[in-house]
Amino acid sequence: MSITYLEAIREAQAVALRDDPRVFIYGQDVGAFGGAFKATKNLAREFPGRVFDAPISEDAMVGMAVGAAVEGLRPIVEMQFADFSTAGFNQIVNQAATLFWRTQVPCSMTVRLPFGGTSGSGPFHSQSLEAIYAHYPGLIVLTPATVEDAYSMLLEAVAIDDPVIFCEHKFLYYHLKAEKLPSEALPVGKARIAREGRDLTIVAYSAMVHEALAAAAELVPEGWEIEVVDLRSVKPLDTDTIMASVARTGRLLCVGEAWPWGGVTAEVIARVATEGFGLLDVPPQRLNAKDTPVPYHPNLWAAHRPAARAITDAARKMLRL
Amino acid sequence: MPQLGESIAEAAIINFLAPPGTVVKADQDLIEVETNKATMTVTAPCAGRVGAYTVELNESYAVGAVLGQIEATVEEIERSGLILQVTGESVEADVEARPEAPAGAYRVQPTVRGLPVPANAAGASYLSPRLKARMSELGLHAADLAGIAGSGAAGRVTIEDFEKFIASLEKQKMSKASTMRVAVADAMRRSWTRPIATVGLPVQLDPLLAHRKASSPKPGPALYALRALAIALSENSAPAGRLVGKKVIHPSSIDVGFAVEAEDGVLVPVIRHADQKPLKELVSRYNELVELARERKLPADATGGSIATVTNYGTFGLIWATPIPLPEQTMVLGMGAGRRMPFWDETKNQFVPVLEAYLTLSFDHRVLDGGGAGRLLARIADLMRHPELL
Repeated sequence: MSITYLEAIREAQAVALRDDPRVFIYGQDVGAFGGAFKATKNLAREFPGRVFDAPISEDAMVGMAVGAAVEGLRPIVEMQFADFSTAGFNQIVNQAATLFWRTQVPCSMTVRLPFGGTSGSGPFHSQSLEAIYAHYPGLIVLTPATVEDAYSMLLEAVAIDDPVIFCEHKFLYYHLKAEKLPSEALPVGKARIAREGRDLTIVAYSAMVHEALAAAAELVPEGWEIEVVDLRSVKPLDTDTIMASVARTGRLLCVGEAWPWGGVTAEVIARVATEGFGLLDVPPQRLNAKDTPVPYHPNLWAAHRPAARAITDAARKMLRL
Repeated sequence: MPQLGESIAEAAIINFLAPPGTVVKADQDLIEVETNKATMTVTAPCAGRVGAYTVELNESYAVGAVLGQIEATVEEIERSGLILQVTGESVEADVEARPEAPAGAYRVQPTVRGLPVPANAAGASYLSPRLKARMSELGLHAADLAGIAGSGAAGRVTIEDFEKFIASLEKQKMSKASTMRVAVADAMRRSWTRPIATVGLPVQLDPLLAHRKASSPKPGPALYALRALAIALSENSAPAGRLVGKKVIHPSSIDVGFAVEAEDGVLVPVIRHADQKPLKELVSRYNELVELARERKLPADATGGSIATVTNYGTFGLIWATPIPLPEQTMVLGMGAGRRMPFWDETKNQFVPVLEAYLTLSFDHRVLDGGGAGRLLARIADLMRHPELL
């Protein structure tokens, strides 16, 4: 048996619906159609009355989910694309994120954001928005990089009492496969050492973990051992694991598919520079998408995102400094 | 299977439009597929001959799945920017290009400005924060790194170089450096941050020795040099000034130190106002300070604050040396061992034996030029040739 990242997300939702009667799914075409990416395929049939089609209004979708959460339910809201979630931004950051702090009533909801670039998807279907949600207190932002994490972290997201922004990468939907689903997992907020190394730490998350691992493999024949840290969740951010890794290697390269300005990579570097300046043997670097809208053309898109080749180039410069 | 629309995850194969063996052009329709939204066609990514389809009719395939192969020339594959897959002797390109761009087809700058690292954060003089932190932890100075050949850019000592160096030291016998040794090392290291130069001049010691023989108590040879230096500086103290920023700090009094060897180091007792007392009045104080220094019992008022130092390295049989001035001083006067040398006596028209020693003056070249140092040294030598003036 082999299961994809997308199927793992569907399975996690099926398990959540089965195990907790408070859970329901709300989103555009999530019902009979099974969702834009088929992440809710057959769930409406398996769980009648628990998977609802929403009007084309992200604002209304999130607002309704906040109300349901106030009443004790645990909604999973599917955005067709992360890019569209900005139409529901007010409800997420002003209502959901602040609810508990204003009223002591928890807002237990999960907003699924299919995010990140795929070839030819262009500026409205490729964005990575984890940084803007991580900016707001009250939200948890998860960015699973593996099939196992997609499954276990989505289950945990539903179980958490806080609103969770679940960033699932569209590029990984079909490309990433696992033999089976996990029975246990690291807790949310704990980063994972995806590859052990000695010479340089690459901190990445979501699809960039795989680019970082490919870059690490490419550098092996040159004698370099690269450590890759998979953040798993960008908020909370596991500073301890990052710091311990930089203590081992002395070099830090952060890779993110989002834009550079004020992003997760900037936050990681700021923390290491603040708390671990004396661990750094070379200036820390970050590698992000270009600071432009995501281009349509496949060749431009490939040059826009930080892929393995750009990572190895940046790593070599740091290793030779 | 190409990305056929914004939210298309998969598509079913409903018709093959170009059977295997067909020669096709780039962008020619190959396969008719059906999605949830519409019927579409998959087109040839490059020109070539259709090899084989690896998918079946009426089955659904996910975006990114390989649908078949086209045989194409290497030139055509390169032109269309596809990935080469060498199988046997033929070169085939997958119908669906991998979403990643092919290796070598593009080159991106690692940051927006294209500057991967600050240009000044390299080179042999760059000490990283981590290196500095480790050095501070172990109590090391930059001078201690002199023995490490850095493997970083432009000879930078990387943290790996440093740790290897530290590990290599642990294989060797180690002993704790004395407090005195550490203090001397620290003074020399600080002093060496300046450009230090040395000039030298031979001086005949016969008049000095004759004067000494006739004196009671007998002044040591270094005391003659000390007194000569003090007089020379009292005539013009500017050469002993210290340069701090854009200002020369002039000496407030002619306090001159002299080097006394003690166990595992050197002490520098000071004679205050050495320009104001004649030689014979300094002898007992000088001898007393030598004894106190050897016993390491120098009183506070007899150390520090001197403007120059005299060192008699001739006592070790050395005839020439380039001593390093103390970090808070601009100059050090050195005196070599006296030797019998032939001297051409104009009046006798023959060589005569004389006792000759070298005087050296090491100085901060920022404050003093060779000419100024030479004139000062010549004046000192002149005074030493006329010990009755001391």
